[in-house]
Amino acid sequence: MRFIVSTSTLLKQLQAVNGASSSSTVLPILENFLFEIKDGILTISATDLQTSMTTTLAVESKEDGKIAIPSRILLETLKTLPDQPITFNVDDTTFAIEINAGDGKYKLSGENGDDFPKIPSVENASAVSLPASVLAEAINKTIFAVSNDELRPAMTGVYCQLNSSNFTFVSTDAHKLVRYRRNDAKAEQSASFILPKKALTLLKASLPTDDVSVAIEYNNTSAFFRFGNINLICRLIDERYPDYEAVIPQNNTNRMTIDRSLFLSSLRRVVIFANKTTHQVRLKITGSELNISSEDIDFSNEAHERLSCQYEGDDMEIGFNARFLIEMLNNLSGEEVTLEMSTANRAGLLVPQTNDENEDVLMLVMPVMLNTYA
Amino acid sequence: MEATSEIAYRKIIHIDMDAFYASVEQRDNPEYRGKPLVVGGLPEGRGGVVATASYEARGFGIHSAMPSKQALKLCPHALFVRPRFEAYKEISRKIREIFSRYTDLIEPLSLDEAYLDVTQDKLHIGSALEIAWQIKAAIKDELKLTASAGVSINKFVAKMASDINKPDGLKFIGPSSVEAFMETLPVAKFYGVGKVTAEKMKKMGLFTGADIKNLSEAELSRSFGKSGRFYYQIVRGIDDREVQPHRETKSLAAEDTFAYDLSTLEEMEAELDKIAKLVYDRLLKKNLKGRTITLKIKYSNFKQITRNKSFPVPVADLETINATAKQLLRITFMETHRIRLLGISLSNFGELDTRPKGKIGADQLKLF
Repeated sequence: MRFIVSTSTLLKQLQAVNGASSSSTVLPILENFLFEIKDGILTISATDLQTSMTTTLAVESKEDGKIAIPSRILLETLKTLPDQPITFNVDDTTFAIEINAGDGKYKLSGENGDDFPKIPSVENASAVSLPASVLAEAINKTIFAVSNDELRPAMTGVYCQLNSSNFTFVSTDAHKLVRYRRNDAKAEQSASFILPKKALTLLKASLPTDDVSVAIEYNNTSAFFRFGNINLICRLIDERYPDYEAVIPQNNTNRMTIDRSLFLSSLRRVVIFANKTTHQVRLKITGSELNISSEDIDFSNEAHERLSCQYEGDDMEIGFNARFLIEMLNNLSGEEVTLEMSTANRAGLLVPQTNDENEDVLMLVMPVMLNTYA
Repeated sequence: MEATSEIAYRKIIHIDMDAFYASVEQRDNPEYRGKPLVVGGLPEGRGGVVATASYEARGFGIHSAMPSKQALKLCPHALFVRPRFEAYKEISRKIREIFSRYTDLIEPLSLDEAYLDVTQDKLHIGSALEIAWQIKAAIKDELKLTASAGVSINKFVAKMASDINKPDGLKFIGPSSVEAFMETLPVAKFYGVGKVTAEKMKKMGLFTGADIKNLSEAELSRSFGKSGRFYYQIVRGIDDREVQPHRETKSLAAEDTFAYDLSTLEEMEAELDKIAKLVYDRLLKKNLKGRTITLKIKYSNFKQITRNKSFPVPVADLETINATAKQLLRITFMETHRIRLLGISLSNFGELDTRPKGKIGADQLKLF
């Protein structure tokens, strides 16, 4: 097999799918890209068996064929070469690869393309489509709250609920929870599934900035995304998602509305003085005044700040992990946010003061139990 | 001239308390004396094991790490009591205080066992045998407990020696008799020789130290890898491992290589049950709790992976170890990959939670 392609075009496509490849000690062929040529179209695939990505580009080639090429060495070579046409010569029996670029000649050994895992297709799928910007926003708003606890697999992905009136995306790590709802997206048939974090991270990185439409197909086991010439297929997390609606508190009589960026920057300072393990800060709300404080007894560090806020409810004192609050405030938009609380041991609800017309964002964070000093 | 060659030898004592937990209970509770006593998990409980059996109980075939249920079957009138680790730790501290009168080179192996290097003793007694006598006497006088001691020129032989005249024993194996002693020693007694290696040695016609001595270093390392070199040296009475005063236990593990590669989750889980039990027994013996549980998997192609899970607080119960190992197995399980070895280890024994209690009580609450 022999083909000619430009370094920059190839590199761009390889980088788009490289995230899906895996440095698997168990199945070394996953450290390769699969190159398949048919009728002058090169399809490049990368997979870690859970998530696969493919992309296509036109190359100059007279014959069809396939070969698995080690990804790291190929990427590194392409990154250092100037933009120029390069020729790949593949020995179809030994899988030896020779790359000719200008005055350089590079040899490496590939593997039989037939040994590369078959990229699955999504059979009997339902289909929807979403603007790339909406999908990107849904990922951005939720991915930070996804759990990394492999032992609770359901929470290591974003839960998607599609129905005839809206799409809902939910993520949680059991300490915090995000529910992001889009009222401008609709599906004919209701469906729900959990998309793994890795696939979402890859999507986020490769979604185009211009507002193309992303075609999404899904069945009980897999989901498929297509935009431009890139396809991404991932296995769904086959677990039951926790009943998140049940933990969203309904009667929060204490409501504090505050300037988001002032609250955020205050927390960022105060957390510097907090215990390095717990990142615990104390919020004390009296009248229209919010006191944020922290201390690290081991180092005799402490910080106190006073902010003004609008507050309806009883005076209260509640502890939070400041890092959770910071992440959440960072991922909210709008000038003001409202923190709704009931008691110091129940979840606090953080919502933007005004939602965009098509969006409904709700974030939830569990407090840290405070001990008062004797 | 003779004197200079003797100086080259170290003087190592291995002290091992006799049926430590059980002896302490018998000392503190006169009603237990002279009776078969089992310290460990109660037979009514699930998964309880024997931590220590009194010598009376050992007569019935009860030994440590045996399921308490089985112990009860062997000796239906045996008394079962829960271990009091705090008490044992305190006594262990006192025993170490006795050791420290003679040397600072003390390497505790567990609460009831230690190596001492008395090549240079603090009291200038000079004779390692005499020091061992004095230590045994002090333990008996001050703590009303008995210990067995082995005295020799290295750790390995000292440890072997302490086992010879148990209980309340003392055995000295001097430089001139070390090689002869090693030649008669059955291979199963060798440090690091478990059931699998012993079986392999048997097949190779190796039964005693003398059989091993007939093999070259190259032959031994070909058959037993790194350990082969150790065997080569040890049968010649050479063991240069030093007595390390500050050795901390960093991790505790058990693993098993299988006779044939495992391919189904059921087989693997059954093996994990056994391995988890081993780890649990060792933790119990050392009275340790760890925050991190690690599962080690070696595939049939010899590729090895590990997966671990850490807990906010140290754990040591069999159920958690077992369940975590199985969860870790399930997330890595691939039908296409057969497994030749599984192992579980616990590590991270240090406390994470260094916050002063009651000052900043930070308990992050959970939604689910």
